[in-house]
Order: sequence, then C-alpha cells, then structure tokens
Amino acid sequence: MKRLSVMLAAAAGLAISAGTAMADTTLKMVEVITSPPRTEFLKKQIAEFEAANPGVKVDLVSLPWGQAFEKFLTMVQAGDTPDVVEMPERWMGLYANNGQLEDLGPYMAKWADAKTLGERAKEFGSTVNNTQYMIPYGYYVNALFWNKKLFKQAGLDGPPATLDEFIADAKKISALPGKYGYCLRGGPGGFNGMHMFMNIADGKGGYFNADGTSTMNDPGSVKGLQMLADMYKDGLAPKDAVSWGFNETVTGFYSGTCAMINQDPDALLGIADKMSADDFAVAPMPVGPTGKSFPTLGYGGWAMFANSQHKDDAWKLMATLLSPKDNLDWAKEVGVIPIHNGADQDAHFKTEQFKGWFEELSDPSKYEMVTPPTHLENLGNFVDQVAIKNFQEVLLGQKTAKDVADEWAAFLTKEQQDWMAKNKK
Amino acid sequence: MTYAVPEIRSAGASRRKRLSYAAVEPWLYLSPAIVLLIVVLVVPLIIGISYSFRKFSAFKSEFVGLGQYHAMLSDAVLGQALVNTLWWTVASLFFQFFLGLGLALLLDKPFIGRKLVQAVVFLPWAVPSFLSGLTWAWLFNPIIGPLPHWLFVLGLRSDPSTSILSDPATAMWGPIIANIWFGIPFFAITLLAALKSIPAELHEAAAIDGASPWQRFSKVTLPFLAPTIVITVMLRTIWIATFADLIFVMTGGGPAGSTNTVPVYVYVSAFKSLDKGYASAVAVLLLALLIVYAIALIGIRRSLVRHV
Repeated sequence: MKRLSVMLAAAAGLAISAGTAMADTTLKMVEVITSPPRTEFLKKQIAEFEAANPGVKVDLVSLPWGQAFEKFLTMVQAGDTPDVVEMPERWMGLYANNGQLEDLGPYMAKWADAKTLGERAKEFGSTVNNTQYMIPYGYYVNALFWNKKLFKQAGLDGPPATLDEFIADAKKISALPGKYGYCLRGGPGGFNGMHMFMNIADGKGGYFNADGTSTMNDPGSVKGLQMLADMYKDGLAPKDAVSWGFNETVTGFYSGTCAMINQDPDALLGIADKMSADDFAVAPMPVGPTGKSFPTLGYGGWAMFANSQHKDDAWKLMATLLSPKDNLDWAKEVGVIPIHNGADQDAHFKTEQFKGWFEELSDPSKYEMVTPPTHLENLGNFVDQVAIKNFQEVLLGQKTAKDVADEWAAFLTKEQQDWMAKNKK
Repeated sequence: MTYAVPEIRSAGASRRKRLSYAAVEPWLYLSPAIVLLIVVLVVPLIIGISYSFRKFSAFKSEFVGLGQYHAMLSDAVLGQALVNTLWWTVASLFFQFFLGLGLALLLDKPFIGRKLVQAVVFLPWAVPSFLSGLTWAWLFNPIIGPLPHWLFVLGLRSDPSTSILSDPATAMWGPIIANIWFGIPFFAITLLAALKSIPAELHEAAAIDGASPWQRFSKVTLPFLAPTIVITVMLRTIWIATFADLIFVMTGGGPAGSTNTVPVYVYVSAFKSLDKGYASAVAVLLLALLIVYAIALIGIRRSLVRHV
C-alpha cells in the first residue's frame, strides 16, 4: 500500500511538472546589431526578465550585423518569424508595409513607463502608416569627433563651426606630415555622412520636397557631394578612405591618422578605450550657408511580429527592456542616446564627449535631425549598395557628382511618389 | 513508349522474375545515392532555373519569362563582373598551379625539414576562408597592416599610406594574392600524390639513357601528371570562379565595383537587391559557361589519356 502511494505521488509529481512545462512560454527574440559584449549584456537583461517572469523563457538568436539583413529576411520568408525582433530603422518599411509587424499602440496605451517616453520615440517608431510598429531603444546621432592634439599642432584652437571652417581646418591639418583632416567613410555605411554633408551644404534637411521630388540633386546638395570628392582628391582624407567602413574610420581617428570623423555615440566606446579623454572631444556638426546643420539621426528599436503566439509575454519582454532603468543601462552599454526624458541628467552623459550630441539635440532651431525615409521598401538596397558604389565612383573621379546626384534623385523621387500614390487612398 | 516491358511480359514466370530482379538489383544499391543526388543537386538546380523566369521583391514574385535574361544583355555591371571573374580566375589559377606544382616537386624529394615545410604548405587549407579574408584585409590595411609598407620598400607602391585594396586599378590583386595563398595546398597535395604514383624505374631508365633533368621532367613526369593536371585545373577553375568569400570579406566587390565578380553580384542581387530571379538568371549564365569549359577540358583529358 505504501509502495502504491509512493508510486501515485511520483506519478502526480510527474504530471504536475509536465503541466508546468507545458505552461512555459518560449519567446523567440532576434538581435541583429551584434557584438560579443553587447550580446552578453542583452543576455544579462533577459536573464533578469526571466527571473522576474517565471514560466517565460527567451530564446535569443544573434545575427552578425554584416549578414543580418539577408539572414533575417530569409528566416521570415521561410516562415521562421520571431516574437520580438531588433528593428533597425531602415528595415521598418519592408516588414511593416507587408503587414508583418504588430501595432504596438494599444500596448503602449496601457504602459506605465509611456509617460516618461520622449516624444521622438513615439514619432520615430510610427513613421510607417502612422502606426507604432516599433519602439526605439535609442538614437544614433551624428556629431563631430575632433582630435585636440592634432588641432593644436596645426595651430587651431577649436573645432570647426561652419562648413567653410571644416574644409579650412582639414587643409591645415593635412599639411602635417602623414596626417589628414577628415576620416572620410567611403565604404560600407558611408551614406549617412555623405548625405549629411549634402544636406548641410544645401541648407535643407531631409530627402524630399512636399511633392515627393527628391532634394538629392538640388544645386546645394550636388555642391556638398562635390566638396567631399574635392577633399578626397586634394588629400584632406586618406586615399584608403574610399573603401573605409566603421572600423577603419574609427581606427583612423584613434590612431591619430586623421583629426576629424563624424560618428554616432557607439563609436565612443572604442575611441574612449584607445584615447585619453583629454585628447579628444565631440562637437556638433558644422553649420552650412544658412547657419543650420542637419545631423543624421538613426535608430534601432524593438518590434513584435504580428503572428506571434505569445503577444502578451512578448510585450512584457519589450516593456522591460524599454523601461527607464534597463534603457539607461542599455544606452550606456551600446552607445546610444536613451529614449526616456531626463536621461541626459545621468552623470555618464554629462561629459565633454557627450556635449556635442546633447547640444545638437537641445537646439532644434539650429540643428535639424534628419531621419531616413524608413517607409520606403527599397531604402536598404539603395543606402547599402547603390549609393556606396556611386559615391566611390564620384570620389575616384569615374562619375561626376551631378550625374550621380541626378541618378539618386530619379530613384528616390520614383520611390517616394509611388509610395505617396499608394498611400493616398 | 513500348520499350522492354512487352518482351519481359512475354517471357516465362521464373525467367521474368530473374530478369527483373537482375535489372532492379543495381538500382536498389544505387537508389540512396540517386535520391541524395536528386535532392541536393537536381531539385535546387530546377528551382534555381525556375526562379530565373520570375521577378522577385522581398515577399512577392511574378512570372516574366525571359525578361531577366533580356535584362542581362544591357547590364554593364554584369559585363564588368564577367571580366573581373575571368581575371580573378585566370590569375589565381595560374599562380596557384605553378607554385603548387613547384612545391609538389620539392616535397617529392627528401630533404632536411621536409615535414616542417609540408606542414606550413598545407596550413592555409586548414584556415576557414572567411578568416583568411579578414586576416589578409588587415594585412593590407595601411594603418595597422605591414604590407603597404613592404610593397613601398620593394618599390611596388609609391605611397605607403594607401592599400592596393583602395585603388580600382590594383584592388583585385588583394583577393588574388589571398586566394593564391589559400589555393596552393590543393595543387601541392594532389600533384604530390600523382608524383608518388610514377614508377621510379622510369626515371632511373631515363637517367641511364642520359636524359637531362628537364628531359626527365618533360618526357616522363609531365606526361604522367597530365591527366591529373587537367582534372585538378578543371575543378579548381570551377571552384575559383564561384568562390566569393575572400572578395566579399576583403573588398565587398569595391571600390566602385572593381572587384565585383559574378558570384558576388549574384549574392548582392539576391540578398541586397532582393531580386532572386535576376540573381538566378546570372547564376544560370555562369553555370552554362562553366559547363562549356568543363566539357572542353574533359575532351582534352581524353585525348591526353589516349596518348599517355
């Protein structure tokens, strides 16, 4: 009898544990902008979430950024969709326009932390169809890193405030043996910098006029593109920079090869490791002929797939990662500007290195942030392939700035006007 | 459609059984391999060819008939990619083969430290191609890599602050140099195995007859190696022509498309431009060119075998 009761108890125990196992939820989460320390940090935040939410497990898939676009798209095409995905701004049009992302508006309406969420997070997460398809976890704002030592050696006492000063300073620094004024980024990811200088020289931010025609071939924009080509041709940037990506420009800066780069706060992590804080600072981008500047503002965020079977748990995970505490820690770790109001008061962000970014963010009359037209489906290919190849052709003198700007304008005008026609209904 | 079946049916029952079993037995043994071949080779090939008649975007596709092939005719980027592929393949193959042959001849003879040389020669084969590409890219980097400085010292570059990878005129040499390093072991290993199979008596007889080293090589060694050379050159050509890892990692096809080869273009068309249809059409073109090349080389090998 005793044996029977033990067996019954064991069977009941097994049944209960099986029941618990069946009640467990496993959320699939994909991160696409990865580095080993960043992934470790995310895993730590996930572990805390799992501890606070028994029964919910998170299965994290980390894709290397270099192949993330095609790998993730292949996963989605094969029906292997995650519950939560890290969404770079330029992919949003592709997935949102195809009805694959969940509208986060209703979830945000019941979210306690929404009251401190900055307006920009709501604005940038809902650029497609005015629907909150993602919530940014931080901003990549471009500003100008400058090497104090090299400036001093060239007889300069501060960063350039205008585009003309930028070129003049680059000239003076490039006169130093083996040194260059500007770490141009001609290779992967070079579009941001190139487009930003086109906007600054044009005195007008963004990509389009109200009628959907592109501003890429405005005379001012062409002048900005030509300016970069001239700087390259005149030796104000290293010859090698024609194919430089993120790592090369950052290396070029901290090794003291060139005195200025335009970069986002994520570059600060590597640079601060290699350079003394006294030797460099970050200034706002120089202004153009109209006295205005147009720094690019990129962002990544978290989005939920509409076909998720565990939407409530997926939202819980997103809400945890986007809470003021987790977001502040995340911003410090990955090098982005945090999304909740008041985060700039944190001691971490009150250094000379962050001054440039917060100055840009705090003066909208002088600094107009330019975000990519994320609603366009073919933006990723244009930015990552077409524009880079053409930019290199301009730098190498194989095509003129005007011809390339005209090509870009024709492409973007068609994309935008098609989108406008489709969204009129 | 009335081939062998009526005949078999008209025969006696036991004979029919024997005949059909005898006919079926080899196919039974072969069937796993045939199924495997169909699944991993024929099906993807058919899918690839069928894709080439469609136009794709990320989540949609439409039938366009020969439209993709027609678009290829006026695609200047493809024209440049074909020229780049030819250059990349011929230069890589030429140096891989002759350096591999030289090493095989060297390693065929006993000398002190042969084992060490053997290990060093075969090392590149053990390194993943992606890693090789990254390493070579850093070696060519003018800020942290040593090669720009040494190319300058040797008088091969006029400016040590630039990499050959950033100059459209020389960029292709970067991946080619990496590929030569990467591919030498293949020729060294296969040709060394072929050298070992040549009967020693033939060399001894030739030496007794007073043949010079060059005569022994050209009249004894080379004819024996010839069939192996043709097959290895054919295989390697196909592999190099379709090999994109090193180029992708080292230059990404740039600057300004100067290292864009057909496989890189296929990859970019399929996964960046999201047009799998066009990528498939370009891949079919490359496949057709390589089949023609392989058939020609197989013909050469047959005539060589007849003459050996």
